[in-house]
Amino acid sequence: MLQKKICMLGGFAVGKTSLVRRFVQSIFSENYLTTVGVKIDKKSVAFPDKTVDLILWDLAGEDDIGSFRVSYVRGATGLVLVVDGTRPATLAVALTLRERCEAEFGAMPFILLFNKSDLTDRWAIPEGEIDELKQRGWQIYLTSALSGEHVDDAFRQLASMVAK
Amino acid sequence: MTSSVEPISLSQRQASNDTGIDREALARLLVEIARNVDPDNHALYEGVPAADHRLERLRQLLVGGEISELARVTHLLDEPEQLAAAVGNVLPEATARASHAQLGEALAPAVERAAQRSIQKNPNTLTDILYPVFLPAIRKSIGEKIDQTFQSLNESLRHIFTWHGLKWRFEAWRTGTSFSAVVLKHSLVYRVEHVFLISRASGLLIAHVTSQDATSEDPQLISSMLSAIQDFVKDSFKEKENSGLDTIRFGELRLWSEVGQFATLVAVIRGNPPEELHEVIRDVLLRIHQESSRALERFDGDSSQLPGVETQLQTCVELQHMDSKEGFPWLVVTAVLLVLIVAGGWFFLSWQSAHRWQTYLSRLAAQPGIVVSDQKIRGGDFYVAGLRDPLAADPRSLLPGTDVDPARVHSNWQFYQSFEPQFVLKRLSASLAPPDSVRLSVVDGRIVAEGEATTTWINRARAAAQQLSAGGPVFDISRVRDVSAEDRWQAYVSRLQTQPGIIVADQNVRDGQFYITGLRDPLAADPQSLLAETQVDPARVHASWQFYQSLEPQFVLKRLTASLTPPDSVRLSVANDRIVAAGEATTAWINRARAAAQQLSAGGPVFDISGVRDVSPEERWQAYVSRLETQPGIIVAQQNVRDGQFYITGLRDPLAVDPQSLLSGTQVDPARVHASWQFYQSLEPAFVLKRLTASLYPMDKVRLSIVDGRIVAEGEAPDTWIDRARAAARQLSEGGPEFDISKVRDVSPDARAAEHWQYYVSRLEAQPGIIVAQQSARGGQFYISGLRDPLAADPQALLSGTQVDPARVHSQWQFYQSLDPKFVVKRLTASLSPPKSVRLSIVQGRIVVVGEAPAGWISRAQAAADQLSADGVVLDVSQLSELNLAELNHLREAIQTTDIFFDSGRVVPGPEQTPALDRLADQLKEFAENARKAGVTARFMLTGHSDTTGRETANASISAARAETVRALLNKRGVAPELLLVRGAGTFEPAVPENENSRTGNSTNRRVSVTVNLE
Repeated sequence: MLQKKICMLGGFAVGKTSLVRRFVQSIFSENYLTTVGVKIDKKSVAFPDKTVDLILWDLAGEDDIGSFRVSYVRGATGLVLVVDGTRPATLAVALTLRERCEAEFGAMPFILLFNKSDLTDRWAIPEGEIDELKQRGWQIYLTSALSGEHVDDAFRQLASMVAK
Repeated sequence: MTSSVEPISLSQRQASNDTGIDREALARLLVEIARNVDPDNHALYEGVPAADHRLERLRQLLVGGEISELARVTHLLDEPEQLAAAVGNVLPEATARASHAQLGEALAPAVERAAQRSIQKNPNTLTDILYPVFLPAIRKSIGEKIDQTFQSLNESLRHIFTWHGLKWRFEAWRTGTSFSAVVLKHSLVYRVEHVFLISRASGLLIAHVTSQDATSEDPQLISSMLSAIQDFVKDSFKEKENSGLDTIRFGELRLWSEVGQFATLVAVIRGNPPEELHEVIRDVLLRIHQESSRALERFDGDSSQLPGVETQLQTCVELQHMDSKEGFPWLVVTAVLLVLIVAGGWFFLSWQSAHRWQTYLSRLAAQPGIVVSDQKIRGGDFYVAGLRDPLAADPRSLLPGTDVDPARVHSNWQFYQSFEPQFVLKRLSASLAPPDSVRLSVVDGRIVAEGEATTTWINRARAAAQQLSAGGPVFDISRVRDVSAEDRWQAYVSRLQTQPGIIVADQNVRDGQFYITGLRDPLAADPQSLLAETQVDPARVHASWQFYQSLEPQFVLKRLTASLTPPDSVRLSVANDRIVAAGEATTAWINRARAAAQQLSAGGPVFDISGVRDVSPEERWQAYVSRLETQPGIIVAQQNVRDGQFYITGLRDPLAVDPQSLLSGTQVDPARVHASWQFYQSLEPAFVLKRLTASLYPMDKVRLSIVDGRIVAEGEAPDTWIDRARAAARQLSEGGPEFDISKVRDVSPDARAAEHWQYYVSRLEAQPGIIVAQQSARGGQFYISGLRDPLAADPQALLSGTQVDPARVHSQWQFYQSLDPKFVVKRLTASLSPPKSVRLSIVQGRIVVVGEAPAGWISRAQAAADQLSADGVVLDVSQLSELNLAELNHLREAIQTTDIFFDSGRVVPGPEQTPALDRLADQLKEFAENARKAGVTARFMLTGHSDTTGRETANASISAARAETVRALLNKRGVAPELLLVRGAGTFEPAVPENENSRTGNSTNRRVSVTVNLE
């Protein structure tokens, strides 16, 4: 049994919880997010030689970086950064959160998800900007909680990154 | 040359290992080499020289560096300081690289010794080092121990009175363990259902073990969430300590977590675990840490790295304790119950009998004259011994009512004489036989004798008192007055001497016998009867009295009354020592009285009979006849006296006085009067008037009178009456007196009504404050209009008595203010409400105000005077003077600060209070007088107080009595009693606060205070 702690970070209402809802095992209610500030789900990713259990710590989304409970990230081996594609500000939030985590616990693998890709008419992130980020070697996915597009792929990618 | 390299290096290596150089071998080797280089040399160097300096040089060339290096190393090893420095340089690195197990083994003894040494040297050093480590552990351990104790206590308490409790107590007794241990054993039913081992760093699950039939959700998620919650709590409450949540409790489930260095062990327990379980869990966690410390530290989510952990955890899960269900021990319970019932019954019976015995004993102890010295209960029998006074109640008689079986009571009483006052009193009464005039009583534990007694009795009593003084109660005979027979005799004699009509000639006392001689008037008091009142034994009195006639006026009077038997019309009395007779008497009686007077003139009092008029029967008869003759309606025709009998004949009107009734009071004997009267109608006006009055029933308004022999009727009467009167007048005209009815006015009803109305109007007009403007009578109705002052009489009220029918009166009154001084005075009295010291009067049409009044009132009166002057009414306030209240207030202050003080328990103030009382009385009188002048009534409240000594009810009554006494004393000093009010405040209004437990009481609080009230 191989398990990895993964933290899901993102600004307020970027759709982290909805994004994973259909793809994970969960026993806790979403109330935990507002009460404890974290909700824990599990995503099992099967590889031919092994199965990796991603223990996903879905941290409550806050645009106020100051209230971020960085202690929840301790012991994590990977991050899922979620950005609302219709709100460019959330990209900055996600990146800031990642910087804080790295400053505290060192560099760790991560994937960057631009969510709400179904809302094409309201999409606000320029293609160029995404390409630029991709050129840094970042794993970036355009996802949709509505259609489930690329979500599984993203987790599979992350699992392979952390299980090396 | 290249091929020769290897051998050289080889020999070099060998050489370096030798200390002593085998020079021969070296030489041979060199020869060998030389041959190989040049086979020609083979023969040349067959032998090897033993010493060759070239060899030495060669050696220097070949291994000179090594030799010096070796020398340095050798030197380094040989010199301890150098060696220590060298090893010190490499030691940390060497330690780090050494095998952990071996190094630990090797170092352990040395470290232990070092620690020992350090502690021996200075224990504080190590304590300081370990302090941060130990403190949390110790704290936690103590906390758990306390929890454990509480748990044990709680469980013990909870089960102490239950059926389980009894069962477990029995079990504890049977197994010899403590009760609380048994309670814990049974009540701490629990089962460890899950055990999670969680990585502290990541919150990832390392291992999870569950008991057989326990279920749970995904353990991976649970473990992560648990660590998230731990983080949450730590963050939320800024908890710095390096520990986690100890306990989470949810209903029957408990989560106990033990935090280790790298991993946290969480046990999920259902039920009520003992606190010791903490230790078990902690041991398991410690063991896991010891065995797999490195693996735990490096745990990256791959649980296969920690294979043995699960078996360790399994030991935790196997922990459980289930209550064993045993069969209920009915037999044991029944047996125990039976024993309990029998024992309880026996206990109750013995308790009850002992209780009854105690009741009897306390009854005995409460009896005066009984002293219980010893008592016990043995074998169901009761033994009591003690002392009893023969006069005390029989102890046996006290038994009924206590339910103690008299047959089982064995008493042993010694008689003794109790010194309790009531017993001493009884004995004294028996031994001293006090006379009736002496009363013995017990007062405050003292026996007090009061009354009168003879000297002999008093002496006996005194002797008894002396006897008693040795331990007995005080026998106070100071209040017995010594009245010996002699004293009483003297009292009797002096009483006799003051009696009128008794003259004591001689008296003496001999051998207890009393002798008296003297004179006594038969009419004087009987000396014997006086004796009966004096307690002098009549048997010892020998009296010898000579009768004599006392010439004291009252005795003479008595004797004269007895001898002369004066008639009723004569009264005898003593005036200025003279006996005076006054009234009327016959000549014979007067003669006898004169003889008696002459007898008395020799030494006796004067008997004055000059006031008795000589009246003989004939004279009295004549007086009677002449009186009859003056009577109207009586005509005496003839009268004469024959043989002492009186005869009279004549006429009498029935309305005239009865001649017989005139006889009484004349002292003419009615039996000797023979009268013969003929009735007739007298025409004397008086008799005629009487008859007319009887026959005519004259009305209220008609008055009949006799004027110059004529009968005159005056007044008002209806026509019918006038007609009847006229008929009577005609009858009378024949010889009778004239009956004049001309002055009777005929009044018909209408005329009367009009008259009545006029009378009413005139009455109204005469009323002050009423002005009649107009009035008229039309068709039987009366109309009136005018002005009236509200203070004037009500016109309606004036109607009554006028015979005017109110229903026929129509009035119309306008109110106005009359300026008549009388009304002005009324209005002023109502509006100004003058004080009593002010009097308003009308003097010649002016209103004059006289007296004393406060300044405020005077100014109001002045304002009223100004107003009235505009209406032409004079209100003279010039004679008002201002009332000075300052002096009154000063006096009131003086009165209210006066207190009358009392001795403890006394209700009469001591003589030292007299000046204060006198002063107070004067002040009260002055104040009352001044207040009265100012128009107010002053009343003075006398409040009695007491100190706190004694019972509250007694204090209340004593305080009231003090106030009453002061009232009486003030009354005696001329303060009007109706001005003095009285109340008792008991201890409730002390002048100075007082401690209730004080024995003496505060003298300042025993007082009567005065407060002044104005009404």
